[in-house]
Amino acid sequence: MILYESSKARLLNIIRWGNNPFKKFVCTSEIKEELDLVKSRDDFIKNIISIVEQNNNFILPIIGDVGSGKTHLFWALKNNLYYYNTFYISLESVYKKFFYNIYSEFIENLETGPLKFVVNQLCENWGALERKYGFFHVVDIEKVKHAAFKQLSTKYHEIEPETLIDAINGITTHQLDPYKKIEAERWILGKLMDAKELSTLNLSHDLHKGKNAYIMLRLLIENSKLGTILFIDDFEKIISIVKPQDETLEEVFDPSWLYGSKMSPNDIASEKIFTKILQLQQIEGLRIIITLKSIESLEQIKKKYHDFDSELVSLIKKPLYLKNFSEDDIFEFYRNTMSTFYDSIECNEFSQAFEDTYFPLNELTLKNIFEHTQGNPRAIIKILIKIFNELIDDEESIDLILKKYENLDNYPN
Amino acid sequence: MSNTDNSILYDPVKGIQLEGEFEGSIITRCKDDNDSVIFSDNLKISNSEGIFITDGFRVGFELNYNKKVAFSRRIEAQWYEDFESIEYSILISEDLMQIYDEGQFSDAFPYTLNKLTTAALYLDDNQYRINHLEFFKEEMLRNPVALVGNGVIVADRVVIDERIDPVFYDCLIVGRDENDDLSVSFEPYMNVKKSLTDVNLKYIIILGIEELKL
Repeated sequence: MILYESSKARLLNIIRWGNNPFKKFVCTSEIKEELDLVKSRDDFIKNIISIVEQNNNFILPIIGDVGSGKTHLFWALKNNLYYYNTFYISLESVYKKFFYNIYSEFIENLETGPLKFVVNQLCENWGALERKYGFFHVVDIEKVKHAAFKQLSTKYHEIEPETLIDAINGITTHQLDPYKKIEAERWILGKLMDAKELSTLNLSHDLHKGKNAYIMLRLLIENSKLGTILFIDDFEKIISIVKPQDETLEEVFDPSWLYGSKMSPNDIASEKIFTKILQLQQIEGLRIIITLKSIESLEQIKKKYHDFDSELVSLIKKPLYLKNFSEDDIFEFYRNTMSTFYDSIECNEFSQAFEDTYFPLNELTLKNIFEHTQGNPRAIIKILIKIFNELIDDEESIDLILKKYENLDNYPN
Repeated sequence: MSNTDNSILYDPVKGIQLEGEFEGSIITRCKDDNDSVIFSDNLKISNSEGIFITDGFRVGFELNYNKKVAFSRRIEAQWYEDFESIEYSILISEDLMQIYDEGQFSDAFPYTLNKLTTAALYLDDNQYRINHLEFFKEEMLRNPVALVGNGVIVADRVVIDERIDPVFYDCLIVGRDENDDLSVSFEPYMNVKKSLTDVNLKYIIILGIEELKL
C-alpha cells in the first residue's frame, strides 16, 4: 500500500491517472446532467416554474448566448419539475418526420406505466368499463369504437377520419383485446410495422405515416394527468432550417428550377415546420419552452406568427434572459463540480482537506478565467478542461501550469 | 381489504329493510333450494309490495330431466313480493368496485379461458354431484361465481391448482361474520383449500360470456 505524503499529492496523482473533473463543455439531451444550476439562476428557474404552473398553453422564449447553458437548463427544469413530463427536441434534428420524432421522445419520457394509465382512461371515457348487471365488464369492442369515433370526430373535426380510426383501433385493441395486445403495444410505442401486422390489427398505417403520430400525441397529452412540457432547442431554425450557404460557391443546381424563384427549399422546409408547430400549439395542456440566441430571432418569429394569425402572438410569453455567470457563480460552479468529482472517485474527504478551497486551482486563476470569458459558462468549462488536461498530460508542476494561465489575453475564447 | 361504506339494503337476520330505490352494484342472495344469487345495478324495496329488480342477472342451479344444470338468466323485471324468498341484499360501495375493476383489466393473464355459455364447474350435492375441477386442472377460467360456506364469491378468474383446489383472483366476497353481520371484502387472491380442510364449497359456476352479453 502506498502512503501519500499529503492529500494534495494524492489528488494530483488521481487526476494524473487521467481523471479530469471537467469532462465536457456541451450539454446534450441524451446524457443526464446531475449538476444543478448555480444560485444566481434560482430566481430564473422559479420564474419558469411559476409560468408553467399558472398556464396550460404557451410558448416561453428563453434567450441566451451560445454556451450560456440553455440545454443545461432543460435538465434543471426536468429535475425541478419532476411531476411534469418534460421532453426535449432540437429543431436541428427533428425537422423530418416531425410529429413522429416528437411522439417518440414523448413516449420515451412518459414510460410505459403512465402510458398504459392514459390509454386505459381513454377507453373508460369511451364506455369500455361499463358494468353490466352492476358487476361484469362485457366488452363490446365495436360499440366502444363507435362511441370513440363519435366523440373524437366532433372534437377533432379537422383530422381525417382514417387517422382517427387508426388511433381508436390501436388504443381499443391494446386495452380490450388480450390476444392482440402485444402487437397493439408495438403500434402505440411507434414501432415500424409491416402490412401483415397492420392488417391483423385492422390498421391502415403505423405512426410513421401521415398524422397518426400527431393525433396520438394529442390524445395522450390532453388526457394525461401529468402536465407536459416540450423544450425546443435552437428554435431559430424555424426561420431557416439549413445554415446559409457560402454565396461565393459555384451553384451547380439552382433550386429555383424546381421550386420557383420566390421560395428556396429551406424556406419551404421552415414553413412546413412552422405550420406543424402551430398544430402542436392546438394541443391542450402542452407548454412549450423555446431557446433562442438573440432577441432579433424572437422578433422575426413573432412577425411570422403575426403574418399568419395576429391572435397567436398572445401565446408567446415575455422572454426570459439567461445571463452569463457572475463572479461568485464561477467559484460555486467549480466547488460543486469538484465535489461531484470527489463523490465519483469516492474521496469525499478532499472537500474539506485543503487550505485553499479551490485546489488544485486557486482563486486568482478562477478570477482570471472569469474575466477572460466574461462569465460565459461554456468558455469557462473549456479553459478548465484545458488546465486539467495539462495537469494530466504534462510533467510540469501545478504552479508552472497555473502561472501560464495568469494571463489569458492570448487565449482564444 | 374490506369496506364499511357498503349499504345493507335488506337483512332479516338483523332486521334491516331500507325502503326506497337503490342504484349501484347490488348482490341479492335468494333463499331457495339452490342458493341462487342475483346481480343487478338497481333494486327497489317497498314495505307493502316487496323487492323489485329490473335488468338483473340470476345465477344458480335448476333440475332439468333429472339432472342439475347451472343457469344464468336475465331478469327483465321481477317483483319478489314475499320477503321470505330473499336472504339478503347488499349494495357494494363504489370505492370497492373500482378496486375490483382494476383487477378485471389486469393484463397479467391474457390467455384466460372464456366460457361462451354458463356451466357448472363444481356442485356439492349428494344426488346430483358435479366435479369438473380435475378436467380444468392448471387452467384459468374467467367470471366464476361461487358459494363457499355462507359467503358468495364473485371473481375475475379462477385457477384450478395442482391439488385440484380452486384459487380465486381479484374477488369480492360477501358473507356473514361471527356476529352474523353482513360484510363485503375484496381479496386479490383466495385459495379455497378443499383438499386439505373441510371447507364447505357448495358450488362454482362459470358465467358464459355470451349470456352476459344478452
